[in-house]
Amino acid sequence: MLVKLFATLIEFTGKRKLEVHGPKKVRELLDELDRMFPGFKKELEKGYIILVNGKNIEHLQGLDTPLSDDDTVSIFPPAGGG
Amino acid sequence: MYGNWGRFLRVNLSTGEVKVEGYDEEFAKKWLGSRGLAIYLLLKEMDPKADPLGPENKLIITPGPLSGTSAPTGGRYNVVTKSPATGFITMANSGGYFGAELKFAGWDAIVVEGQSEKPVYIYIKDDNVEIRDASHLWGKVVSETEEAIKKEIGSKKLHIASIGPAGENLVKFAAVMNDGHRAAGRGGVGAVMGSKKLKAIAVEGSKRVPIADRQKFMLVVREKINKLRNDPVAGGGLPKYGTAVLVNIINENGLYPTRNFQTGVFEHAYEQSGEAMTAKYLIRNQPCYACPIGCGRVNKLPTVGVTEGPEYESIWALGANLGINDLASIIEANHQCDEFGLDTISTGGTLAAAMELYEKGYLTDEELGDAPPFRWGNTEVLHYYIEKIAYRKGLGDKLAEGSYRFAEMYGHPEYSMSVKKLELPAYDPRGAEGHGLGYATNNRGGCHIKNYMISPEILGYPYKMDPHDISDDKIKMLILFQDLSAIIDAAGLCLFTTFGLGADDYRDMLNAALGWDFSTEDYLKIGERIWNAERIFNLKAGLVPERDDTLPKRFLEEPMPEGPNKGHVVRLKEMLPRYYKLRGWTEDGRVPKEKAEELGIAEFL
Repeated sequence: MLVKLFATLIEFTGKRKLEVHGPKKVRELLDELDRMFPGFKKELEKGYIILVNGKNIEHLQGLDTPLSDDDTVSIFPPAGGG
Repeated sequence: MYGNWGRFLRVNLSTGEVKVEGYDEEFAKKWLGSRGLAIYLLLKEMDPKADPLGPENKLIITPGPLSGTSAPTGGRYNVVTKSPATGFITMANSGGYFGAELKFAGWDAIVVEGQSEKPVYIYIKDDNVEIRDASHLWGKVVSETEEAIKKEIGSKKLHIASIGPAGENLVKFAAVMNDGHRAAGRGGVGAVMGSKKLKAIAVEGSKRVPIADRQKFMLVVREKINKLRNDPVAGGGLPKYGTAVLVNIINENGLYPTRNFQTGVFEHAYEQSGEAMTAKYLIRNQPCYACPIGCGRVNKLPTVGVTEGPEYESIWALGANLGINDLASIIEANHQCDEFGLDTISTGGTLAAAMELYEKGYLTDEELGDAPPFRWGNTEVLHYYIEKIAYRKGLGDKLAEGSYRFAEMYGHPEYSMSVKKLELPAYDPRGAEGHGLGYATNNRGGCHIKNYMISPEILGYPYKMDPHDISDDKIKMLILFQDLSAIIDAAGLCLFTTFGLGADDYRDMLNAALGWDFSTEDYLKIGERIWNAERIFNLKAGLVPERDDTLPKRFLEEPMPEGPNKGHVVRLKEMLPRYYKLRGWTEDGRVPKEKAEELGIAEFL
């Protein structure tokens, strides 16, 4: 699946986009990202916006939202503006 | 009285008369100040049917009770008037330092009336007020105007609000600019100032805002600043990336309006995002007065040198909405808009309507002649037409009327993405339906600021609401946002504080500063009063709810063609009657006598 990272997460990982294969749920994807980039999950402790194919996981199944290999996952730290 | 000075200036430019008028604490407890004071004066003194560009219209420039204090973001002011764009009320709001300085000079508002025959500017130094000749300033862009006045007066403390050529030439979306790049942008307030031949207001003050309990206020303010600093948005994303941190979020959520709102996904969004701007052009942040957030950007480009901005809205309006991805061109265009004194959202929205009319064949090469064609993504259009609009030259004269009137001239007003003839900001409502209801019901037309439902629908503040939920809970949240925004405006604070603060926090700061013992509900009641009073003004000005509380046909009838919101329209018809009911209005959107009596504004019906 394609994982897109934004804002401070780009600085943290040094990547804007990466391919990850294997995780079946958002929770497992975050574990995998934490393994690849130690401290990744801590970066999200203050909050996050996670979209699976543009839909917020809050309105899907949260961290248990299922994933497949052709999904796009966008991960943001908390953000606002206007 | 504390917070407010209890006095304002009335300047009549037809007669040259300057008067000082006052009000008491009882009045402040009803209207709070700023936006509240302004709507009271407009309803009390002015015919809502008056020509916005005629001498009867009043231009009210007003900081709030917390402006000029140490309250976080306490530097804002409102420009309230009847809008030449919409024909209804507008309350454009700006940061920077001008609002605080006006407060330091000892004034809660300047009410400008009449029309001068010759260009003038107003110079205020504390109690000393002069109307000065501005013939030598007429025609100057904003930076030249500020520089010339500063040189003339010779004070380093001076802060200036002025208009550029766009305001002088009565462009329907001209802004009032202050501190170089800060804009009270929406609704053509700059044209009203231009119609009065008022080039600028220059202020310096030496007074300290009266606070009821200074020690308590200091402790409360410190607590709120800490809240903001510890908030991941107000203390994290906003200072680091500016408001443009939203570009990617809104695009990934599928509601970043592209090519005049034909779709909600822009393929080049990243290239114009806050992340990209920070990496390529940012040299420092530029906070407004007393602001712990500091979202303002200072960028450097080889072409224009050091400049401020652009904000999220401007990047979008001068970028994706025109199919333009080149960030350098967008920064340059934003600089041009600031210098000429143009609202960037309406400038972009009007050019976008022209591009769609060109795409559909209603605006032809024959009419354009040698001018750059209105093709999506053509950056030449920006630099060429921004100047032509400001000076009303060639096709710029028609474009200066705004997207609705422009599209109407070509027989297709439906290509104007506007509400009440005010161009919409950077969120496609098909991806946030509560935000769409906000657009439709906003007192100043197509505006996001006074009812920012993107916060709960997309960003999760104060909590996440499904963007496609249209329940009563959603509508109640919208009403709360509208009333709370009125209070934050009336207090003289920035709406970005809502990312770290809640309604109780504003209550705490206001009570400590004003010496009152109001509950949160008491303050929200003032917000509701302001909102309803503005609605009454609009109804008297000729608002027809069934005609005007609506959205462009595109959002009601054309499903979003792609992305996460594919297939969605805005179900406005299902929400609007319930909004009226929850507001306590009649079925046809009028403020009934009982509601007006409850709010103590029946005299205005």
